[in-house]
Amino acid sequence: MPPISFALWLLVLVFDTGGQLAFKAASGVPGEGLGHWRAMAVRPWLWLGIAAFTCEFVTWLAFLSVVPLAEGVLLSCLNMAAVMLGGRWLFGERLTARRLLGVALITLGVVLVGAG
Amino acid sequence: MNTRWRFYLVGFLLLMAIDTGAQLCFKLAATHAAPFAADPGWLLRVLREPWVYGAIAGYLGAFVTYMTLLKHAPVGPAFAASHLQVVSVMAASAWLFGERLAPLQLVGAALIVLGILVLARAEDEVAQTTPGHAR
Repeated sequence: MPPISFALWLLVLVFDTGGQLAFKAASGVPGEGLGHWRAMAVRPWLWLGIAAFTCEFVTWLAFLSVVPLAEGVLLSCLNMAAVMLGGRWLFGERLTARRLLGVALITLGVVLVGAG
Repeated sequence: MNTRWRFYLVGFLLLMAIDTGAQLCFKLAATHAAPFAADPGWLLRVLREPWVYGAIAGYLGAFVTYMTLLKHAPVGPAFAASHLQVVSVMAASAWLFGERLAPLQLVGAALIVLGILVLARAEDEVAQTTPGHAR
């Protein structure tokens, strides 16, 4: 892979994973219904997540302009593994055998759909 | 069926439905505004297309649904399970737009559904071993 494609892919991975983890951090504040949204809006996590996804959108478009779509989808599948590891690291989510199997099956499925 | 199960089932199916609706709206808006050109004329044609507002509303709805799910669901499995929309968008495109599906894509769709069923089973297991925690 040329350095520019690799750099863009790495950025997509960082923004996508960072966005998911920021959203998880945002959702953890106490509150119900509208109160929950008010509590999320005054903390940085939700906005950080939205910023990450905005950056990801632009980076993803740039990435797809240098690699074919099927290859792009293939490489973006690593995002699932990265979010899983991030969840364990930041929120103490358990990596059980069943969870790993489930995520592996979904990853393989997305690869096959993208390759078709 | 307990409350947690119902919450996940309703939440992820709702997320899938809204996401699929938004993608279909995008496709319809793009088709109607074709041909694509990187100019203001194309952008104006897109903005005059009612479907694009359906797509935007869908994105907002999906965002609210996903944030509500994340409040209780662990992010790793939740992000993976949100790929269920790959299956529904594929099925809807074949049905509505007559897009052809390769056999390998059908195998892929089956694997995604199987993976989500395994994740659902995994949540039961985690809930039994760590009561009161959605980790």
